[in-house]
Amino acid sequence: MSTSPSSPTRIDAQPGEVIDRSTTIRFSWNGTSMTGFAGDTIASALMANGVRVISRSMKYHRPRGYLTADFWDPNGFVQVGDDPNVRSGHRLIENGMDVEPQNVWPSLDHDVKAANGLVGRFLTAGFYYKTFMRPAKLWPQFEKVLATFAPGGTVDLDTPHRLHDKRYIHPDVVVAGGGPAGMSAALAAAEAGAQVVLVEHEHHLGGHLLWGSDADRAVVAHFASALEKAGVEVLLNSTVTGRYEDNWVAINQRSHPLAVERLIKARAKILVVAPGLIERPYVFAGNDKPGVMLSGAVRRLINLYGVKPGSKAVVLTANADGDATIADLERIGVDVHVVDARKGEGIVAADGPAKSVTSVEGADGTKIDCDLLVTAIGWTAPTSLLNMSGDRPVYDPQTARFFPGVDIDNVLSTGGIVGDGMLDEVIDHGQQTGRLAADRAAAVAHRLQAFTARATPVHGDEPEWTPDRRSELPRDAHPELFRSSTHGIVDFSEDVGSKDLFGAAAEGFDSVELIKRFTTATMGPAQGKLETVNTVAVLAEARGETIAEVGTTVWRPPYAPITLGALAGRIFEPVRVSSIQPWHERNDAVPILAGAWIRPEHYGDAAAEVRNTRENVGIIDVTPLGKLDLRGPDVPKLLSMLYTNKWMKLPVGSVRYGLMCAEDGVVLDDGVTARLGEEHYLMTTTSSGAATIWEWAENWLQTEHPEWQVHITPVTTGLTSINVAGPKSRELVGRLTDIDLDPQSFEYMQVRTGSVAGVENCIAWRIGFTGELSYELHVPSGHGLHVWESLLEAGTDLGVKPFGLEAQRIMRLEKGHFIVGQDTDGLTKAPSTGMSSLIKLDKDDFAGKAELGWAMEDVEAPIVVSIQTSDGTIVPREASQIVKAGTNEILGRITSSRMSPTLGRSVCLGQVAPHVSAPGTELTIVLADGTRTQANVMEHHAHFDPEGERLRG
Amino acid sequence: MAKSAGLTAAREKVGRRSADSSKPPRYSAAGLLSRGARKTTWPRVWRDVPLQKTYDVVIIGGGVHGLATAYYLATNHGITNVAVVDKSYLGSGGSGRNTAIVRSNYLTPEGVAFYDRSLDLYNSMSLDLNINVMFSERGHMTLAHTDSALRTMNWRAEVNKLQDINSSVIGPEDVKKLAPSLDTSSDPRYPILGALYHPPGGTIRHDAVVWGYARGADHRGVEMHQKTEVLDILVEGGDGPDGKGPGGKVTGVRTSRGDISAPIVVNCTAGWATLISDMAGVKLPISTRPLQAAVTEPVKVFLPTVVVSGSLHVYVSQTDRGELVFGASVDPFNTYQVRGSLDFTEELAGHVLELMPGISRMRLLRQWAGLCDMTPDYSPVMGFTPVEGFLCDVGWGTYGFKAGPVSGEQMAECVATQQTPKLIEPFRLERFSTGKLVGEKGAAAVGH
Repeated sequence: MSTSPSSPTRIDAQPGEVIDRSTTIRFSWNGTSMTGFAGDTIASALMANGVRVISRSMKYHRPRGYLTADFWDPNGFVQVGDDPNVRSGHRLIENGMDVEPQNVWPSLDHDVKAANGLVGRFLTAGFYYKTFMRPAKLWPQFEKVLATFAPGGTVDLDTPHRLHDKRYIHPDVVVAGGGPAGMSAALAAAEAGAQVVLVEHEHHLGGHLLWGSDADRAVVAHFASALEKAGVEVLLNSTVTGRYEDNWVAINQRSHPLAVERLIKARAKILVVAPGLIERPYVFAGNDKPGVMLSGAVRRLINLYGVKPGSKAVVLTANADGDATIADLERIGVDVHVVDARKGEGIVAADGPAKSVTSVEGADGTKIDCDLLVTAIGWTAPTSLLNMSGDRPVYDPQTARFFPGVDIDNVLSTGGIVGDGMLDEVIDHGQQTGRLAADRAAAVAHRLQAFTARATPVHGDEPEWTPDRRSELPRDAHPELFRSSTHGIVDFSEDVGSKDLFGAAAEGFDSVELIKRFTTATMGPAQGKLETVNTVAVLAEARGETIAEVGTTVWRPPYAPITLGALAGRIFEPVRVSSIQPWHERNDAVPILAGAWIRPEHYGDAAAEVRNTRENVGIIDVTPLGKLDLRGPDVPKLLSMLYTNKWMKLPVGSVRYGLMCAEDGVVLDDGVTARLGEEHYLMTTTSSGAATIWEWAENWLQTEHPEWQVHITPVTTGLTSINVAGPKSRELVGRLTDIDLDPQSFEYMQVRTGSVAGVENCIAWRIGFTGELSYELHVPSGHGLHVWESLLEAGTDLGVKPFGLEAQRIMRLEKGHFIVGQDTDGLTKAPSTGMSSLIKLDKDDFAGKAELGWAMEDVEAPIVVSIQTSDGTIVPREASQIVKAGTNEILGRITSSRMSPTLGRSVCLGQVAPHVSAPGTELTIVLADGTRTQANVMEHHAHFDPEGERLRG
Repeated sequence: MAKSAGLTAAREKVGRRSADSSKPPRYSAAGLLSRGARKTTWPRVWRDVPLQKTYDVVIIGGGVHGLATAYYLATNHGITNVAVVDKSYLGSGGSGRNTAIVRSNYLTPEGVAFYDRSLDLYNSMSLDLNINVMFSERGHMTLAHTDSALRTMNWRAEVNKLQDINSSVIGPEDVKKLAPSLDTSSDPRYPILGALYHPPGGTIRHDAVVWGYARGADHRGVEMHQKTEVLDILVEGGDGPDGKGPGGKVTGVRTSRGDISAPIVVNCTAGWATLISDMAGVKLPISTRPLQAAVTEPVKVFLPTVVVSGSLHVYVSQTDRGELVFGASVDPFNTYQVRGSLDFTEELAGHVLELMPGISRMRLLRQWAGLCDMTPDYSPVMGFTPVEGFLCDVGWGTYGFKAGPVSGEQMAECVATQQTPKLIEPFRLERFSTGKLVGEKGAAAVGH
């Protein structure tokens, strides 16, 4: 089937049409190639091609056609290529576009699940809670069947992450909605000197004026050019999706030339909410048949796209928009039968075969033949953005809709959501709102500037907060029309009918939140914009209450769904590398991901690296060590608070090891801190703890002791850290530095500053994580690579070789040093580490003191011990459990294990229950394959050089 | 801790207030058919009865914890003169805001025992409560992106294995088989090195759990009172200037609908646990933080298991309705606000696309927040307090839903026997003044 653009339903050019009839667009629908015009939405193009059935409903798979023919159409979801759930009433057609119906099987025309409709009376809302319980074994099968009813399109898992970007703006005023009120507000605000962004959900400015009279369109044209002249930034096809704390406004821009969707984050001084109104469907039998449309859909199709939606129409009208629809239909030659609700007339049913309407049953029993039924029975005020600002809307029975409930200082509303009135009145209200917004924005701007430290101070007093003296828009009386005497669909996307709601209310799900959860009404893609008020009205009817008594559900962000791609934007997940990384890469280091860092795990043979370091000298890049530069007279107080041991008397030139605990006494971090000068210290933390310890320290300073004079600068990447370890390290470092390395003057646990390889201001300290004589050098990072290469060059004859993280792990394990987070865990309190001598309970206070007081007395806490298997060739995997022989009772676990190149056997650290922690105790370890092996608790933590002669040398 | 003498009297009155004489109809396919044929509706899921002046037990909070406590008081102990009061509708708090994931692969033997019991109760719940709670035993996968995370997974798996919990560490190939949407290549910033796989874990329809317990309790005579806000707790003889606090004795509660006298009042709230306990003069070491969640539009089901990534602070599952449900870790600040934030959705989307790059065209439909009552050791406060007759089941942090059934069972036993059951012994309030903090932080902090 191929249809030309001049198909029978495309009518002559309309004065306000937005299509370009000179540009034909070729696309396909359901495998059939079709054409439309530039500017057509998928919906208007399909309608022009005579397509009436677009989708199948979720539960009963009833054929569905367009209801609103705009973004919110619950029946208009289609799959476009790899893009599921596309709003066909909104998305413009493009050449080559491949449009498919969703959720149909085997086809849109013949859908087998339509059989569900036959048993519909048994499948009341929530029926699944009442069945499929027996036999329990079969439930997984039932579940699989239920899951096939999941609505929606299909995700192509190979979808690429297309270009997305984000933009940050700080406008004075953001106006949400480009109808007459919104345009007027934006223009008035800009003319009053405000910087304004106007956001319009549709592809054109103008709102409902677009399908109005020539005069209406002249107003739109006037505003469009005035807005441009006034410098208002107009974002079309964009939606204000959310309003968060402090007017943090999210705008989803779908019209960016490069990004598929762009998230604009605006810190708006004032937000003006002017979304207009959303037309509400009417509940009656057959209201979801293809051929039943709302008046807005009909007017759009005729006036914007030149599409004739039917040839013989019944129009149920209760307002001027319904009347205008009648006029539009008659103008294009449609035979119209009017049912005027204001005169007490009504309809009770749309009849006909599954896929179309052929007649309408009137409340008076008459039957009128037609192929189009149009309803114009009232509006829903989309107050979502106001809800997000803290408002709870209030129902007005005279106007038959909800209105904003409270005034919010920095969120103003105008247009349809606050009232009706003639166009002049609406424009005037918008204008007053725009001026008020500009005034208030100026006051907010002044306040913001006065609060911020600036080169030039802000002059003058803060402008007065302009009171809201806007004249109110009138409210036009409107009959309350929600449901006819028959039952019909309330939530089209969830396939929930008024009968379901009555049933649910009778079952006790009789508050709006409960009925929503039980029936799923309002939970679908339109998020209540079409169905919330009808749900409330039906519930009120069922309970014999008023709509005001029932109230509404809370509208939550986003206002309109936004793709995960747009929210994610470009994904920034940086990795950190040291200044020596280029060398590591050139020298075939095997990388390992360690927290935020990529660093060398080894350079080919970790065991050889260990041996070389133990025999000669090795160097390792330890830049990821967290480093905090601490200055000020009160640094010792801070250190005493953070560490469990004492810090008030650390001499200049010394380094001390310390353990940090959280308030619950659990080991948080460890490391050494050096005193470089009278009021200058350098703290190191574990690599993974760098960020948290900085925050932890700042937290103490800022919330508990703001009176302490301490300034913290994180310098983790500012200093490149190199550990030179091994018996020949003194000789190697001595060749490059002016620091006196004589063991008498530069002892173990001391720090010196000086030049290394010609680089000034290097810090060197003597510590011994590897158990060897070692110097840890902290070098300004710009020279890190130079110092590294200089060490390798200067030490060729000494056998210097680099070593990686794995060799360091092996050496520290041989030496019995624990790693916080590996040998300790989220439950390990400090005394368990065997470091009780570092816990000074006689200090005034320190983090974790109270808990550690108890922990020191705790005789049940596990203890970190060194363990060796009886068979030295067995290396139990880390996390292997230690159990009571012959049982599954857990007594502890292996926390670290390696084959030791130095000792030629396996070595372990583990946590065990105190009654099996004594040296020599025999342990049973469960290996990964389930077999068990014997091991013994060792006397010292260190498997190697327990006296520490090497590192003190 | 102070216990109450009021229950002896309560137990003697067993059966005094039985439910309506006609037995409520059972839910079944046959029932659906006959009512469909006869076009009749079902009776109320719980009765709408007037608020009495006196009850044996008043439970504050109509979520899964409060309702389960009421249900087990009635079924296991015959105590039925019980009112559950809630300031909003049943299930309006954490019970209706969580992401409905259940599992039992915890780290400590105590944690495993507790949650395994909970999982057992969830497993048989549909039949026990005669409501299909749609327990979907779809498996639960916690991803490891670093070797240290993998080590922790191994630890959990080893502990679980020794306790007969089905839980093991699987490699990237098996991860891919279970969830083809995950990027298991070695390219990503957070490569998937493996996962802790727990086949018995899964999801459940959280609202159905709430309704099931409410219905079951109602059938046995318990009363549910919605929109009944507790304004004060009536205490006599306490150390405080107003007669409240330690040493005092509960006499009832003051609600927005009038005073109720009751010898036993149980605080089963979340988000407001401290405000309620303050009314009795009981201080709790709890701070309240929001936990955010979000859901996408539905698409055809493609994710058959629950996926959790601790490093990326995200957990995700796909409902039978086709929506992806996302959760994260608690926000790092205290508040009673339950509004979502923009930054949360941005970070969430970024992290989810790291895991599943193919879903960038899916649209976020709705976001929300719930309140989590955090204790210093991430473990709850359960049982007696220094005020006689005032009990707590609070401080559940981010994982109260999983623990709902077993908590209700144990709290009911606590109320009925006036003894702290062994399973909840570690969670007594005294631990904060005696240095016996519980250590589930390691496991709970990993998330869901």
